[in-house]
Amino acid sequence: MAMRDLVTGGADCAAPGSSSSNPLGALANALIGSSSKTQERLREIPTSQLTGPERPFAPETHGQLPGSEFDHPPLQPNQQASNFLNAFHSAADPGLASAWNEVQAGPPPAHLREMQPSLAEFDRIYDQVPASQHQPILDGPPQRVLSNFLHSFVESSRGGVPFHPTPLPLLGLSEGDKQCIRDRSSIMARHFFADKSEDFINAQLNALLSSLDIDTSKQVGGPQPGRFREMEDYWNESQALQRPGGHVADGWASEYSLNREKFADHDAWAQSFEQQYGANGWASEFEQERFQLGSAQKMAGGNMMNLSAMEQTRKLANTLAENNDPKFQNSKFLQFVSKMSRGELIIDDNQVKPNSLSPTDNWASEYQQQYSGGLPWADEFVSNQTNRWADEFAEEKQNVSDDPWVNEFSKLHMQDWVEEFGQQVGEGVSGEADNWANAYDEFVNEQVAAKGKMDASKGIYVFSDMNPYVGHPNPLKEGQDLFRKGLLSEAVLALEAEVMKNPENSEGWRLLGIAHAENDDDQQAIAAMKRALDVDPTNLEVLLALGVSHTNELEQAAALRYLYGWLQHHPKYGTLAKPELADSLYYADVAGLFNEAAQMFPDDADVHIVLGVLYNLSREFDKAIASFQTALKLKPQDYSLWNKLGATQANSIQSADAILAYQQALDLKPNYVRAWANMGISYANQGLYEESIKYYVRSLSMNPKADNAWQYLRISLSCASRNDMLEACDSRNLDALQKEFPL
Amino acid sequence: MPVFKTPFNGYSVKFSPFYESRIAVATAQNFGILGNGRLHVLDLNPAGPITEHIAFDTADGVYDVSWSESHDSLLVAAIADGSVKLYDLALPPTSNPIRSFHEHTREVHSADYNPVRRDSFLTSSWDDTSKLWTLDRPTSVRTFKEHAYCVYSSVWNPRHGDVFASASGDCTVRIWDVREPGSTMIIPAHDFEVLSCDWNKYDDCCIATASVDKSIRVWDVRSYRTPVSVLNGHGYAVRKVKFSPHRQGLLASCSYDMTVCLWDYMLEDALVGRYDHHTEFAVGIDMSVLVEGLLASTGWDELVYVWQHGTDPRAP
Repeated sequence: MAMRDLVTGGADCAAPGSSSSNPLGALANALIGSSSKTQERLREIPTSQLTGPERPFAPETHGQLPGSEFDHPPLQPNQQASNFLNAFHSAADPGLASAWNEVQAGPPPAHLREMQPSLAEFDRIYDQVPASQHQPILDGPPQRVLSNFLHSFVESSRGGVPFHPTPLPLLGLSEGDKQCIRDRSSIMARHFFADKSEDFINAQLNALLSSLDIDTSKQVGGPQPGRFREMEDYWNESQALQRPGGHVADGWASEYSLNREKFADHDAWAQSFEQQYGANGWASEFEQERFQLGSAQKMAGGNMMNLSAMEQTRKLANTLAENNDPKFQNSKFLQFVSKMSRGELIIDDNQVKPNSLSPTDNWASEYQQQYSGGLPWADEFVSNQTNRWADEFAEEKQNVSDDPWVNEFSKLHMQDWVEEFGQQVGEGVSGEADNWANAYDEFVNEQVAAKGKMDASKGIYVFSDMNPYVGHPNPLKEGQDLFRKGLLSEAVLALEAEVMKNPENSEGWRLLGIAHAENDDDQQAIAAMKRALDVDPTNLEVLLALGVSHTNELEQAAALRYLYGWLQHHPKYGTLAKPELADSLYYADVAGLFNEAAQMFPDDADVHIVLGVLYNLSREFDKAIASFQTALKLKPQDYSLWNKLGATQANSIQSADAILAYQQALDLKPNYVRAWANMGISYANQGLYEESIKYYVRSLSMNPKADNAWQYLRISLSCASRNDMLEACDSRNLDALQKEFPL
Repeated sequence: MPVFKTPFNGYSVKFSPFYESRIAVATAQNFGILGNGRLHVLDLNPAGPITEHIAFDTADGVYDVSWSESHDSLLVAAIADGSVKLYDLALPPTSNPIRSFHEHTREVHSADYNPVRRDSFLTSSWDDTSKLWTLDRPTSVRTFKEHAYCVYSSVWNPRHGDVFASASGDCTVRIWDVREPGSTMIIPAHDFEVLSCDWNKYDDCCIATASVDKSIRVWDVRSYRTPVSVLNGHGYAVRKVKFSPHRQGLLASCSYDMTVCLWDYMLEDALVGRYDHHTEFAVGIDMSVLVEGLLASTGWDELVYVWQHGTDPRAP
């Protein structure tokens, strides 16, 4: 933990109003917002112009929009035609031309925008796209897990194979994400599983959603439940609405009544179906699925229409019979799966057992039997279903049969999965989720590696998989705001969006690096800083940050190179750097140079900071502490500097002092995640484990992605004999932890 | 003909109406269920690989794209977050999108530029509405809300600049005249969701519909009690259908059965070609206006194919 803690904000070390020769100070000001320079920095950001007082977009400008009086639907029917035409005409006049000019010229300068209130109005709307429009962050373990999981869901549609509910590692999906997955997969599933029953579709969806811990009760239904009612509406509408001179076809009503008859027939048919198969027709439906699979070839031939008609009828019948029945929204399958995910069903000795579930729940028990009891369900499934299906699939689609998917799918889901699951069950319930997650992760890793996507070799910046800030109008500003708020993970995503958009933006890369550094990811920090350096090879802030990050990674040579580079390009100290040194840098030489520099300008805090870092490299902690303390006298407001001091003190076994330093840092920046975690480390070092737990929990509540901190927390919990909370720690249940250990 | 690999799952492909060698491709991560999107503009080279001209990233999946009929560098993108975005290829990515309209409350599933008036375009969305837009307005000109479920596509009539058709999951297709207050025709086209529709380019009363029921039906809107033709042959839901700009009876379709099919609905044996080149659901298909017989398709296998009808799309 020790050296790493030095990074703490990387290079941003400044006090308000610090001299302009101190670029680090400027940055810190820009980020912390503690001086007038902040305002200057922010004003450079394009969209912030919009808040300027000299720009009067009153709402009334809307009235000047050509043809805008016709804008808002619903239009009155009788005016409509002319309105529309007028709108088009007025659009053809100046509006389109000016809009097009603007399009061609790019965003107009501010004065131009003022002359064109309608465009200004538009820009206001455009620029005000609130952050909430963007999906919330995917803030959790590997998104590729999700990606692969969704993939297998989509693939399951091909064979009509029941999709397994699967315990996944916590993905940290936000409510928005969950809603997205729920709504979209509900709609799409009805396309994939066209000739499956509504129950089957719901079962598939429930398996997906439960595995992702998504509340299925809000699941949107397909079009079917509403369809019949809608037909009624059409009916009434077509009866009631007189359309003078309209193009209404006269035959529609009769057509519709024909349909009604058809539907009525289907209803009758459905009843007979129910009689035949029983009201609770899942099992029989399942049989029928299998039958359908078996006859897939026939289906492709001619019977398809019949079968689909049957399915359609059944769907309608279900719709009619079940409209007021919560069956669709809360199918028994769903209950089973979600109970399992909530732990109400436990898996014990390869059997699914109800924890507190009444055994009279016939379906669940039936399923249990099939699943684990008398019938070796999985085996049966493998032998009966997969092979046959795979063969068939191969026959039917020769071109696709060599697709590794068939093999992979059958292996993964039918055999490996079962075995793996059994193994884990044998290992006990408590570690199960984790083990599984690891296994799944391993699998996913292999897959990803096989695809050749793992190019995350050292020094190459790896972008996040899914980034909601992509396409944001001004990700840099968003990133700066998020960084300032201490939302580092989100800031990273916003800044990634910025550098994807503008790869030449060294400021974006630099800030991205610092965000990573504060987020305890020095590898990514270094990669980002290197990109910043590519763009701007003499940027002092970047050079210093790289020096610090390499120090944290204990890479002395690289650290020395960048720190020397800093000296070389510094306007005040450039003369000190002797070119011949650059080829073979030795620690003593560099340290000597900086000592010289410190003598030249004893009031430059930056030099003292670099010296402190250098002494950390050589593990001369007393000297390092002295250097940082000197720097702090010059810059008492630099929170990251206090943190550096604390980390150095902790390294030199002065943990009690370190806590004071961290406290200073936190007073200056209350959401300084790293300092909270460091505080915990210092308490733990002194044997005050109970105390340390609180600080770890606080830091984790701010950044749950910090794996290190979770490990520290676990150690402290064990040492404090709080084994009762270990489970909460392992499941990363922050709510429980925060309740138990308030700070 | 060459192939292009997109990082995300393909959703839609469109030939430029101005350049015979240019196509736009809409893509979405994780099959459009969750994640980012990217809009690619690709250049076809006579003897060489497909090259990327430019690409734009979006926060959510891009479900559809439509070229402007009035300006060769302008594109409309239908985004899954409910926004409609305009892109200008002549401007650098930093200046794009040049417009972003946020009115649809659900995923926008299609965009179609008016080929007759050339100054407006339509979008349709899972919020059950279609909307009419012009470039110079901050809000939509009109909202068409009659469908009872997702509207998957709305397409302009190729002859009449005020008429369009919309295909919906409520199993109907509606014909609209934007000068009329409501829809002018409701065609209960299929017993299952209708995913796509297109107008015949040579007969302004003829439309084709594609449905989850695996069939394509061709209709004469003057007498739509029974379809003119029912095209069976896809093994799963038919995702998109597109009439040829060059031959009256010819249409192309793509399906969740991973194939692209060509049909001539006027022939007894309607299926005139089947291409099995995609290894995942085929969801995007287009036919070049400028080069007869040139087809483009994309799918969830993250590949974009461009080929001449009659040749093997996978041939190197």
